[in-house]
Amino acid sequence: MSKHKFKKLLKTFITGVFIAISTVGYSQQKSVTGTVVSTGDGIGVPGVNVVEKGTTNGTTTDFDGNFTISVANNATLVFSSIGFITKEQSASGVTAMKINLEEDVSALDEIVVIGYGSQRKSDITGSVSSVSSEDLNAFPVLDAEQALQGRAAGVVVQSNNGGEPGAPISVRIRGNTSIGASSGALVVVDGFVGATYPQPADIESIEILKDASATAIYGSRGANGVILITTKKGRVGKTTIELNSSYSSQSTSNQLDLLNAEQFATYQRGINPAYVQGPADTDWQDLIFGNGNIANHQLSFSGGTEDINFYVSGNYFDQKGVVVNSGFERFSFLTNIDAQVTDKLKLGFNAFGSRSNKDGVSTQASSGGRGSGDVISIAYRFAPDLGVLNANGENTFNSVGDDVDNPFAIATERIDETAIDNYRANFYLDYELIENLSFKTTFGFSTLNSTRGTFLPSTLRATAGGVGGIAGVANSKTSNILSENYLTYNKEIGKGNLTLLAGYSYQKTRSDFFTAGAQGFISNSVSFYGLAGGSIPLIPTSSLIETEIQSQFGRLNYDYDDKYLITFTARRDGSSNFAKNEKYAFFPSGAIGWKVSNEEFLRDNKTLSNLKFRASYGVTGNQAIQPYQSLASFESIYAVVGDQTVNAIVPNQLSNPDLKWESSYQTNIGLDLGLFENRVSLTLDYYNIDTKDVILGDTSVPEYVGFLNQTTLKNIGEINNKGFEITLTTKNFSTDNFSWTTDFNWSRNRNEVVKLVNGDDIFLDSSPGHFLQDETHILREGQPVGVFYGYDFRGVNQNGTLPAGTAAFTNNLGDEIFTDLDGSGTITGADRDVIGDPNPDWTAGLNNTFRYKDFDLGVFFQGSIGGDIFNYTALELASGGSNATTEALNAWTPTNTDTNVPSAAVRARRITSRFVYDGSFIRLRNLAMGYTLPQNIAENLGLDNIRFSVSGQNLLTITDYPGADPEVSYQASGNQASNVNQGFDYGNYPNIKSVTFSVNLKF
Amino acid sequence: MKNIKYILLMTLLSLVSCSTLEEEPIGILSPEGFFKSPQDVQTVINGSYGNMAKEAFWGRRLSLPLMLRSDMVSIGDKGTPARRIDHDRFTVADDNAMITAFWPTSYQIIAGANEAIAGAESLNLTDEAINPIVAQAYFVRAYTYFHLVQLFGDIPYLDAPVTNIAAASLISKTPQSEVYANIISDLEFAKQWLPNAQPTRALPSKATAAAYLASVYLTLADFPEAYAEAKFVIDNEGTFNLELVADFQDLFDATKQDSQKESLFSIDFNGFSDGDTGRDYQGALTGIRQNQRTDGRLDIGEGWSVAVPTINVYNAWDGRDYRKRVSLDTIGVFRGVVQPFSFFPTASPLNVASAYIAKYSRFPGTVSLGNARGTETNYAQMRYAEVLLIAAEALNEVTPGSAEASGYVNRVRARARNRAGVLTNFPADVTLGINQSDFRNLVLEERKWELAFEFKRWYDIKRRQLGPQVFGPNGLETQTNFDPSRDYLLPLPFDELLRNPNLAPNNPGY
Repeated sequence: MSKHKFKKLLKTFITGVFIAISTVGYSQQKSVTGTVVSTGDGIGVPGVNVVEKGTTNGTTTDFDGNFTISVANNATLVFSSIGFITKEQSASGVTAMKINLEEDVSALDEIVVIGYGSQRKSDITGSVSSVSSEDLNAFPVLDAEQALQGRAAGVVVQSNNGGEPGAPISVRIRGNTSIGASSGALVVVDGFVGATYPQPADIESIEILKDASATAIYGSRGANGVILITTKKGRVGKTTIELNSSYSSQSTSNQLDLLNAEQFATYQRGINPAYVQGPADTDWQDLIFGNGNIANHQLSFSGGTEDINFYVSGNYFDQKGVVVNSGFERFSFLTNIDAQVTDKLKLGFNAFGSRSNKDGVSTQASSGGRGSGDVISIAYRFAPDLGVLNANGENTFNSVGDDVDNPFAIATERIDETAIDNYRANFYLDYELIENLSFKTTFGFSTLNSTRGTFLPSTLRATAGGVGGIAGVANSKTSNILSENYLTYNKEIGKGNLTLLAGYSYQKTRSDFFTAGAQGFISNSVSFYGLAGGSIPLIPTSSLIETEIQSQFGRLNYDYDDKYLITFTARRDGSSNFAKNEKYAFFPSGAIGWKVSNEEFLRDNKTLSNLKFRASYGVTGNQAIQPYQSLASFESIYAVVGDQTVNAIVPNQLSNPDLKWESSYQTNIGLDLGLFENRVSLTLDYYNIDTKDVILGDTSVPEYVGFLNQTTLKNIGEINNKGFEITLTTKNFSTDNFSWTTDFNWSRNRNEVVKLVNGDDIFLDSSPGHFLQDETHILREGQPVGVFYGYDFRGVNQNGTLPAGTAAFTNNLGDEIFTDLDGSGTITGADRDVIGDPNPDWTAGLNNTFRYKDFDLGVFFQGSIGGDIFNYTALELASGGSNATTEALNAWTPTNTDTNVPSAAVRARRITSRFVYDGSFIRLRNLAMGYTLPQNIAENLGLDNIRFSVSGQNLLTITDYPGADPEVSYQASGNQASNVNQGFDYGNYPNIKSVTFSVNLKF
Repeated sequence: MKNIKYILLMTLLSLVSCSTLEEEPIGILSPEGFFKSPQDVQTVINGSYGNMAKEAFWGRRLSLPLMLRSDMVSIGDKGTPARRIDHDRFTVADDNAMITAFWPTSYQIIAGANEAIAGAESLNLTDEAINPIVAQAYFVRAYTYFHLVQLFGDIPYLDAPVTNIAAASLISKTPQSEVYANIISDLEFAKQWLPNAQPTRALPSKATAAAYLASVYLTLADFPEAYAEAKFVIDNEGTFNLELVADFQDLFDATKQDSQKESLFSIDFNGFSDGDTGRDYQGALTGIRQNQRTDGRLDIGEGWSVAVPTINVYNAWDGRDYRKRVSLDTIGVFRGVVQPFSFFPTASPLNVASAYIAKYSRFPGTVSLGNARGTETNYAQMRYAEVLLIAAEALNEVTPGSAEASGYVNRVRARARNRAGVLTNFPADVTLGINQSDFRNLVLEERKWELAFEFKRWYDIKRRQLGPQVFGPNGLETQTNFDPSRDYLLPLPFDELLRNPNLAPNNPGY
C-alpha cells in the first residue's frame, strides 16, 4: 500500500469515529415496551441488548426481562444476549411486544480464537483451554498472567520472586521443553506476536494453545505453547461506562521462627565461648516487613453502531509492598476501534500504552558475602543482638559470619528504581476479495523502554562505604515491527465445510542496551541522576541485537457432516538467528476429530450431549539460539596495562554454521464429553512431547583449544515430557435463586532428560556465591530436569560409633553423618547422589461458584503436590555463622542426644538431603463474596449495574514446608536458569496474604 | 473499492521482497579481517594480560594452590572448600576445581598469544616494524607454558590458532623436554626483539625475557646458561632501568608500586574489575576474620582466613629480619581492641593462632570490594632480587665459593637491613668460604624469606625435590600425605582426558 493510500484510509477511518460519536442523540418517534423471555422456561431474560437496527440507539432488559425504548415508527429491533440466538423483530405499528429468545442449542458453539482465525469450539481438533474474563478478574492482580494461575490444566504460573510488586511471572505450558532456551509460552495479543499482557480487566478471553495441531501455525516459536489474548471491543448499542475499583490490604503470609538476642548469644557461645552478647534485641523480620496495599482503578467506555465500535479504557494500579520501601505503580490505557467501512472492507486499530515505576528492594541476592546480600536473607541471618545503628550512629553490620550491612539499612537506603514505558499499536484491514475469499493484513509496532537506576550510599558501610557510594543506570529499548498478510477461503461443499488459510509474515526486533555508573560521590543526595558527580566512572557497556523472522504459513480445516474433522497446519520459518546452513525450518502438524455424539445412533441420546475424540501430531520449534551465537567472534575483556584500562580482546569462538532450532514432536489424544445437556463437561488430554536437537554446550571440545567460550553449541540433547490433563465443569445446581458451579482442573507432567552429550551428567550450581559450592543439582539421563544432587543426611554422630553404611567428614560427637555410598569409610564427592526432585507430581485448581439471589460466593483452591524444595536459607541458618531458626534450641549436646539437629558449630555449607523438603501445598488462592444491588435500586441510582465484593487471597495454605513459603523461585530468571533452577529457596520476596474490597459500576 | 489489485500486488510484493536473514552484528568483533595494524596485535596481546588477571588465574585459582602447596602456607578456616584444602594436604583429585578453573584460562592466554602471532604474520610488515610488539606474544606464550610444564609435566602444546577443532581434539601430550625447548625458543625471540625498557612493568622487556630464560635454565638445572642469562640482566641493569627498591615494605604498598624499578614483569591490578576479570583475592584469602584493621579501613574490613602460615613459619623466621615484619601480621583489632595472634581464634572460630600474611592486605590501595578483594596490588612475577638470587645459585653450581655469588646475595640482604630508613645489622652479609652445598641451601633459604608468599616457593620445592624434607616431621608444615612420586605434578583435569583420550594416561598416582 502506498503511503498516500494509507493516509486516505486512515482519514476515512478517523472521520468514521467522529461521525459515530456525534450521532448519539437521535430524533424519537414512539416508545415501545416489552418483555424478553427464554423459550425454554418462559422466564424473563435480564441483560439482553435491545438495539434499534442501523442506529446506536439501544437499551438492556432489566432483571425481569422488561425493557422500554424510544424508536422510529418503522424501526426493527435487534435482541441479543450471550447464550441466546440473536433475534430481529419489526416494531412497525406496535408499542408493546413479547419476545421469545431461543437458547443457543449448543453452548459449546462459542467461537474460539485460534492462530490467524477463529473456530467454533466444537470444531477444534487440537488441545485448547480457555480462561474467561470473569476468572481473570476474580481478584486484583498486577498482571494477567498471575490470574491464569490454577485456571487451566497443564499451565503452570509462577512468580519469579514471591509477592514482589512488579516481579516477572513465568507461564509454562506442559513442562520444560528445553534446557538452554526459554520454555515460556508465546504470547499473542489481538494478533500481535510476542506482545506483553494487557490489563486483566481489558481482556475478553484467553485461549491457551497446547498441542502441536494448535501451535504449529506459530512454527519455530510454538514449542512452548501459545497464549492467545483477545481484548475487549465495543458492542452495538448504547455507550457503556464501567468503573472497577478495588483496595487490598496486604501482609506477609509467613515468617520464620528465629532466635532472639538472648537465645542467639547462648547459641553463639556454644560455638565460640568468647562470644559477647550485643546491646540490642532486634526482630529484623518485624523491621523490614509491614503492611502493604493495592489500589486498582479501571474505567472503560465502550459502544458502537453497526458500522463502528470502540472500547477505551484506562487503568491505575498502585501497590505498596509488604517489604519496607518496595512498591509498584502503573498507568495504562487501551483503545480498540473497528470500522465496517463498506460491506466488504473492515478496518481496525488497536493501541496500548503503559508507564510503570517500580521501587525495588534487594531480594534473591546471588551472593551474600561482604557487601552483598539481600534484605530478606540478611534479615534471617543477621545478629538479633545488634540494633540498626551502632553507638556512633552508623549503620551496623553483622557480628557473625560475613560482615554484611543490616537489612533495615539496605531496605531503606539502597535505591533501585525502574521505569518502564510500553507502547503497542496495531492496525488491520480485512477485505472480502470475492465471495468466500477474504484478505487480511496487519501492521504493528511496539516498543518497550526500560530504565533502571541504582544507588548504594556510603552509609551502607560494608557495601559502598569504602568507595563513597556507587551509582548505576541501565537502559534497554526493544522495538518490534510486525507485518502479517493472509488469505482465508471458506466454502461449503455438499455436506462438507472447507476452510483454507495461507499467509506471509515478517517480524523484526531490535534491542539496544547500555549501562553507565560511577562511584566516589561527595554527597549521598546525588544518586544515579548525577553520575558526573562521582569521582570515578565505572566501565560503561552497550550492545545492539537485531533479529528477523520471515515466514509462510497455511492451514486446512475440513469438516464433513459436522462429524468428521480434519486439520493440517504448516509453517516455514526463516530466522536470522539460525546458522548459515540452517536458515529455514518447516513445522507441519495434522489432527483429526470425530464428533461421535453427532452420529445417528447417539444423536437423540438424552444423557450424552457431547462426545468428541481428538488426535493430533506435529512438530514445533524453539528458537533456542540467541542472535550471533553461530558466528565466529572475538570478545573484549577488561585488561590493565600500566594502571590504565586498555583495549583488549580474546578469541571467543569459531563459527558454527550448522546450529539450528530445537524441535518438539508432540502427540496429543483427547476426549471431550458432555452429559445432561452439558451440565457436566469433561475434557481429557494425554500428550507426549519429544524435544530433539536440544542445544547443549558440547563439552567434548578440549579446553586447551583456548576459546573463551569453552563449549561449542550443538543440537545434541533430547527431553521428553508426557502428561495427562483433566478439565471438569459441573453445573451442580441451577435454579432461579440458587446456582452452584464447579470448575476443576488437574494435570500431571512427567519430565525426563533423555539424551545429553556423550551421556555425561551436567553439573549445575544455583547456590549463593558465598556458599562456595560448585555443584548443587544435575542434569542426568533418565532423571527429570534439575534434580538436587548432594549427600544423604543420616542424622548426627551420637556416640562415636556410626551406624553401618554411614560416615562423616569429621568425627566429633554431634557432627552430621551421611550415607557412605561407595563404602570407603569416609565421605567424599563420590558419596553424592540425587537427593530430591523439584518437579511436582501433579497440580490442580478447584473453583466453586455459588449464587443465591443477589449474592455470589467464589472459593478457589490451587495446589501443587510432590515437588521438592532445596532450602538454602535453612542451610545458611544451620551453618553457625548467622542467626538460626529455633531448631537450634534442639541442637545435639552431650545432654540432649535425642535429636537430629547437629551440634552448634561453624560448618561448611554442603548440599545435603537435610535441607530438602517436600514443597507440596494447597492454597486457598481466593475466597470472594459479592453482592449485586437489585436492578430497580441500581436504576434509581442511575446505574445499570452495581456490585460490591469482599475477597481474601492466600488466606489459607496447607503445607509441611518449614520455610517461609513453598512457592519458591531462587535463581530462576533467564532462559537456562528458568528451566533447570527449580525449587530453590533463598531470599525470596515473601508471599502475600490480602483482603480486598471491590466495587463495580456500570452505567 | 477497486483496489483489490493493489492489495494483491502489495501481498505479492511483500512475498517477493524477502530478507536474506543475514546477521550483521554491530558491537561484536569478528575475527575476519580484524588485524589491520600493529596496534591490533597489541590489543590481542592485551587480552592475554587481561586473562592473566582473572579470578581463574592469578586472581585466586592458580595463585592459591601455589601458596598452599608450599611449606609456607596452610589452611586457616577449616570449613573452606575442599578444592583448596586438597592442595594444602596433597589430597588433590583429578576433578579439583582450582585446576579445572586455571587450566582453560592458561590455554586462553596461550590462544590469545597464538592469535596475535598469526595476526602479526598476516600484516606482512618488516621485522623491525612488528617484531618488538609481537615479541610480547612470544613471551606470554613461553611464560604460560613455563607455569604449565612445571605444574603438569607433559602437556598438550599448541603454537598456532585452532581452526580445525576435530584435529586439535586428537593431539597427544608434548613431552616436557620439547615444551621447554619451545619455551626457550620463544624467550630467545622475545629477548632478541623486546625493547630494553617498557613504559610500564606490566609489559615485558628484553630484561624480562632474559630473566625468564635464567629461571627456565635454573629449573632445568642448566646452571651455566642460567648464570649467563642472569648475568646479562645484572650487567645491564642500568640499560634495563633496574634497581632494588630501598625499603622492602614499599614493594608491597600498592600505591607505590607503579613507579618502582624492581619488578621485571607484573600482573597489573588497578582496583577496578569487570566481574572476576581484573579482580585479585589474595588480600581477602590471607586476611584475618573479624579484624577491624590497625589502619581502621572499614571499607576493607575482615579477611577470610583461608591461606595462613603455620605457626612454625613465625617461629622459624628470625625476629630480627625486617622482611618478617613486612611479610606477616601478628596483631589485629577486634571490637576496637588491639589483640595478639593468640586471640585470633577467640575473635572468630575460623581464625588460627598464627601470624597472617601481610603482603597483600596491609597496603592494598583502592579496593573495589570489601575483604581486600579487587585491590591495586600488582603481583610481581619476577623481581630483580630474584634475578640476583638466580645468578648466585647458578654460579655456585658452576664455580663454587665465588665472591661474586656471595655479592649477589649480599645485595639482597643489604636492602633487607634498611628498616624503613633505619639501617640495622640483620641479616648480615654472607661470609666467604661457605661450601657449595651450604651455599646452595643458603640461597634457597634466602629465596624462601625474600620471596615469601610470592608463589615461588612451591616451584623451588619441586625443582630441588625438597618435599620429603619440608613436609616431614621437621619441616615447617607436616604433610603426611605428601608423596614425591605423585605430588610434584598435578593431575590433568579428568574431563580433559575424556575429551581427548590421547592425553591419557594421567600423571602417576592420579
